[in-house]
Amino acid sequence: MEPIALSAEQSQGHTCKLHPQSMCPAFGSLRILSRIEGSHPVMATDTGCLYGLTFVTHFYGARKSILAPTLGSAELYSGEIVEGTRAAIEAAAREPGCRLVPVVSLCVAETAGMPEELLPRQVGDAEVVLVRVPAYAIHSHPEAKDVALEALLRRLGDREGPREERTVVVVGEVFPADQLAIDAILRRMGVAATIALPGRSIDDLRRAGRAAALAPLHPFYKGVTRLYREWGASVAGGAPVGISGTYAWLKSIGALLDLDPALVDRVAQEERDKAQAVLAAKSLKGARVLVTGYEGTELAYARLLVEAGAEVPYVSTSIGVDPLSLPDELWLKTRGTQEVVYRKALEEDMAALDRYAPDFVLGTTPFAAAAKERGIPAMYFTNQLASRPFFLSSGMAATIGFVAETLERTNRYREMVAFFAE
Amino acid sequence: MPPSLIRDLSDTSGYWAAVWTMCTMPDVHVIADAPVGCFNLVATAVPDYTDAIPHIENMTPATITEQEVGAKGTSDKVRWTYENLRASGALDGKQVIVISTAESEMIGADLSSLVATLGEGTRFYWSNSLSEDEWAGRDRVLRWLWEQFGAPHAAGVAPAPGTVNIIGPTYGCFNSPSDLEEVRRLIAGAGGRINLVYPLEATLADTPRLAAAQVNVVMYREFGAGLAGMLGQPMLYAPFGMRETTAFVRELGRLLGTSEQAEAFIAGEKRTTLRAVWDLWRGPQGDWFGTTDVGIVAGRSYAEGLARYLGDELGMKIAFVSARPRRPDDPDNDEVRQMLHRRAPAFVFGSINEKIYLSEAGAKFARFFMAAFPGPTVRRAVGTPFMGYRGAVYVVQEIVNGLYDTLFNFLPVDQAYSMIRGGPPKIEAAPGNLPWSLEAKAVLDEALEKLPYIPRISASRQMQMQVEALARERSLKEVTPDLVREALATAGM
Repeated sequence: MEPIALSAEQSQGHTCKLHPQSMCPAFGSLRILSRIEGSHPVMATDTGCLYGLTFVTHFYGARKSILAPTLGSAELYSGEIVEGTRAAIEAAAREPGCRLVPVVSLCVAETAGMPEELLPRQVGDAEVVLVRVPAYAIHSHPEAKDVALEALLRRLGDREGPREERTVVVVGEVFPADQLAIDAILRRMGVAATIALPGRSIDDLRRAGRAAALAPLHPFYKGVTRLYREWGASVAGGAPVGISGTYAWLKSIGALLDLDPALVDRVAQEERDKAQAVLAAKSLKGARVLVTGYEGTELAYARLLVEAGAEVPYVSTSIGVDPLSLPDELWLKTRGTQEVVYRKALEEDMAALDRYAPDFVLGTTPFAAAAKERGIPAMYFTNQLASRPFFLSSGMAATIGFVAETLERTNRYREMVAFFAE
Repeated sequence: MPPSLIRDLSDTSGYWAAVWTMCTMPDVHVIADAPVGCFNLVATAVPDYTDAIPHIENMTPATITEQEVGAKGTSDKVRWTYENLRASGALDGKQVIVISTAESEMIGADLSSLVATLGEGTRFYWSNSLSEDEWAGRDRVLRWLWEQFGAPHAAGVAPAPGTVNIIGPTYGCFNSPSDLEEVRRLIAGAGGRINLVYPLEATLADTPRLAAAQVNVVMYREFGAGLAGMLGQPMLYAPFGMRETTAFVRELGRLLGTSEQAEAFIAGEKRTTLRAVWDLWRGPQGDWFGTTDVGIVAGRSYAEGLARYLGDELGMKIAFVSARPRRPDDPDNDEVRQMLHRRAPAFVFGSINEKIYLSEAGAKFARFFMAAFPGPTVRRAVGTPFMGYRGAVYVVQEIVNGLYDTLFNFLPVDQAYSMIRGGPPKIEAAPGNLPWSLEAKAVLDEALEKLPYIPRISASRQMQMQVEALARERSLKEVTPDLVREALATAGM
């Protein structure tokens, strides 16, 4: 397995990266693996890891029972790791309706060695897919989503059937309404179908192997992008975010799939008009916002807020630098963003809080708490932004409206600080 | 022997035990020899939802990456972390403790010699996370804290008459704010004064003062007795239910020489706090207890305490009990899951695991009460104890309110309203019954038998109506077993 490069290792500058900000990287994979209908994950790991990851999976992933081999020092040092994992796979495959057993191999199992060739590829009706996500090598949970999805597609993607020339695989966990809106607008341009991944259906994963084009909506789907390039599919960069982003994205899909240019242009223009109307109705002018989540989608959100008139001097994320995120970074930096930090640590966000004195913070829980302690409106990026539309003009309206409403509640944040300071 | 499997792990490792114990004390700073995930889960992702805190602030990871795993080892990273923390001022006035994790143990990173080269007094705690579970870990870390930071400085500390320690509450102890409040109240009622609540309300520097208490109250049967044993003074466990609480207050009074005050407290509680249990017992609510069954999965204190109170004192039927850590005959999660899938009791006390099994089973007639971790819950209000006299009242109150809710959910609601919402088709409440074959009746009885007692009357009437509506729709003259099975399947029974 190729480790993901730590491109921004210890910064040479003044701020020391002591508290890295990511969920356990492996969680990203468990979230998407546990949500697939008919999927029964097996986790190969120690008990502390198992406890924590099961906990967050049962909060954010699925109401799904999770099996694991007992891997204590006895099993790990004596090489019984494969035996136990095989037994867990067998048990998972016996669950009613089981069609997929993802084997999530974590830090201690990867350190001890998990030989793929000794695991079954199939048990009964269930495909067994090994997903290697040691936290020490993946570094962030968004990137682990990519690792898991790539592993699923490599195994399940159907490369035998006829290629679907006007089908687009739209990759990225998005709000359900966004998925429908994206599908609708692409169909109006002449796209035959979209497949949304990661999703609930194993059949979607199979069919995704036949699609002619890939549209990764988030910049951390590096492995999936690499895979589609290997498969000779077209890849659309960017995402339908904001006015300029959406327009460019629609045009690029049209060009990639060789759709009717006049039709594409008309649909893209209409959408641009709608987006402009949204901005005319609601502006964030005068608001200074820090966008500092750890979902890997922060740059796109920052871009939308800047188009809406907000000042976003600082953006930070848990993912590493990658060419996929460079267009957004350049776009932001030519519009007033002073810092874009990858693989960020709490210390960097805290320094930005001092430096920029924002009106609103979208951050991780520790950082949002720190902002609230100063009476600054702040929200946990992960919970609040993922639960509302974001893409296209409809998503813009929802997201900008949410920020504007929060800013209107600024007094509450100040009063709370004053109350607890008394 | 076949390899042992874990289904939905209920208890975590020695590493978590160490962090959740040590980090409650503000004069400690922990450096975890950990990859990013072991830091995030223990310090933020989980305590957000178990303890309702944004994150644990006095903890820093050394952030193991592929380089450390590959060949370098973690010493340099731990040193770098230590030095930068010190430079930032975060370690001023703090005792630094470096803790191993499963991964650092996996690569054999024993840092006991490294810590000697860091700031004076820095300690290394081998959390033994590849072997030790949460409970053994919690007990051992408390003993280790006493050995390292207590006993060496406790030579001149003598037990002061009338004083009591409470040992146990840390992060990740289900419902501990309420239980602690109640245990504190019981101790005061018995005539005692609190010396230390350790570690939750103590500092590390307080540790030698553990020796100053005349009696130690250990909150949990699953851990903490080891430390109390080392302290040597008489030890009591925090009590559940009315009888055990009475015995606790009485014994504490005897140990402290305040028996008169303890007896007066017990008598007063019977007239005040416990009056609610007496009234419910005498009232119509108490009549239900004997026909209501309960399943319990929880930490050992909770599991045994609830089983004794609900089963022995109130006479409820205890369908199963599984304690954490498991006692020799306790069902494991696989067995609990199978029992809940087969037939869920009316009430299930448990963790999110049992809640998931109930969801899988579609057991909409069973009522779930959070009584253990894992699982997200806020329990910061101090009015929801399970322990002590107030706990006896709170638990019985929750059960009765649960019964009310179950009843409510079975009262008929006029179906015209669900028709407006485009809901399920209306069941014609046609006059007179269709004849049922004996086999058909047996199928229905068998399905109803799986329901908790209370909703059975309403459920049986409802199912009868649904089956007969289906029969009329198909112009049948008699209700057949297949028809009943079909209707039951549609209703998810």
